[in-house]
Amino acid sequence: MIEGRPGLWRRLQSPRAKLLVWWIGCGVALLLALRAVSSLDWGAIRNSWLFLLTGLGRSWLLAIISILAGGLAAAPLALARVYGPPGIRQAAIALIECVRATPELMIVFWVYFTLPIVTGNQVSSWNAALGSLSVIAAVYLAEVFRAGLYSVPRGQIEASAATGMSALATFLYVVLPQAVRNMVPALIAQLVGLFKTTSLVYAIGVMEFFRSITVTNNAVFAPYELYLVLALGYFVSCFAITRVVRWFDPKYQLLE
Amino acid sequence: MDWHILWEYRAALFSGLVVTVWISALGIAGSTVVGVVIGCLGSTPSFYLRKLTSAYTELLRNLPLLVKVFFFYFVLSMPTIPAALLGLVLHQSAYIADVTGAGLRSVARGQLDAGLALGHGYWQVFRYVILPQAVRIVIPPMTTQYVAVIKNSSIVALIAVQDLTYQTQEINVETFRGFEAATAATVLYIVVALTVIGSMTLLQRRVLTR
Repeated sequence: MIEGRPGLWRRLQSPRAKLLVWWIGCGVALLLALRAVSSLDWGAIRNSWLFLLTGLGRSWLLAIISILAGGLAAAPLALARVYGPPGIRQAAIALIECVRATPELMIVFWVYFTLPIVTGNQVSSWNAALGSLSVIAAVYLAEVFRAGLYSVPRGQIEASAATGMSALATFLYVVLPQAVRNMVPALIAQLVGLFKTTSLVYAIGVMEFFRSITVTNNAVFAPYELYLVLALGYFVSCFAITRVVRWFDPKYQLLE
Repeated sequence: MDWHILWEYRAALFSGLVVTVWISALGIAGSTVVGVVIGCLGSTPSFYLRKLTSAYTELLRNLPLLVKVFFFYFVLSMPTIPAALLGLVLHQSAYIADVTGAGLRSVARGQLDAGLALGHGYWQVFRYVILPQAVRIVIPPMTTQYVAVIKNSSIVALIAVQDLTYQTQEINVETFRGFEAATAATVLYIVVALTVIGSMTLLQRRVLTR
């Protein structure tokens, strides 16, 4: 039997053709979306884009500052949970698990209500937001650090003990360098989660991206346009961070 | 501090707890169904299905839940509870789809090939070989997702669904006892979460012994 030229249907089955069809489909969807978008009224955005951009910047600032502060607090928490003596160890576990089981929004309210009692005077909502996001970041990062410490095989610790290294030297020169390397993708993934969590401080009146959108909407009422900008702002920011994660580790697929 | 206030407002706290529990229950049920279906579709051999499902998860995972809930409530002007539920289900189903996909992928590829080589259909292999193994792997990460639904359900308070968080705010507005109210609500949330974790552990034990 003589093989003729493969039919169109057969040729569309090759992986490259499928990819091409997929991207053409995406292009068509994008064009349709652009047509729908161009029929909207963008006057509201044109007048308030600087205000909205400032809001997005504040969200980024909140996420970055609180992940740094949280990281500083998370290190002793994780060390206490992994290496701590009996009493301290259980205290760290209880603290981490309780905060992790509490809704993020409740933590935001908690810090907002409790900080004035602790410090004795009025606390601005920006500081309360930073405080609550740092608490959230601290407990989640503590778990990331713990997973990183456990990711170093036990045999390595035994091997360095066998070669006569002290416990401290083992930790500093064997465990820590490998743990840090294993942690990097999960750390950056936590930043995505935290960036999305910054939208919650809307509830205590911080003028971050979400609140600046709703405030603008209350003033000019352009819900479709503003929510499109809102979704785009969050999606682009988070997607950019996830891509950075892929960059660090091609094997990384899902870890939030 | 005045803990007496909690006893005075016990009815409000209880009604808030009830709302939180049933919103979480519906959210868990809905997001499990949607997430598992999408996760299964994503691990079929079809190229387009895989691309479409990964677009779904990427899109929904990268938007905060608050954005979705506000979109349904303020832009599409849906009633509060459907908006809250739809937001919760869409948000968590993306994560559950990922968990399901990872569980199905963790069953060795050779098992599928072996089943097909023995003359079983794709569906049969899926139902009797892959699924029972995947369920065991998926239960612990699924528990994490269910606890996340309970935690995320607090966000619906911001569109005035009268759940536990909402009642906390109400108590704070009426009596300025935000600290006490937040403590009580936190304890209740932890109790609900622990109940879910406990029952999932029991479920896992039953699945493992079978």
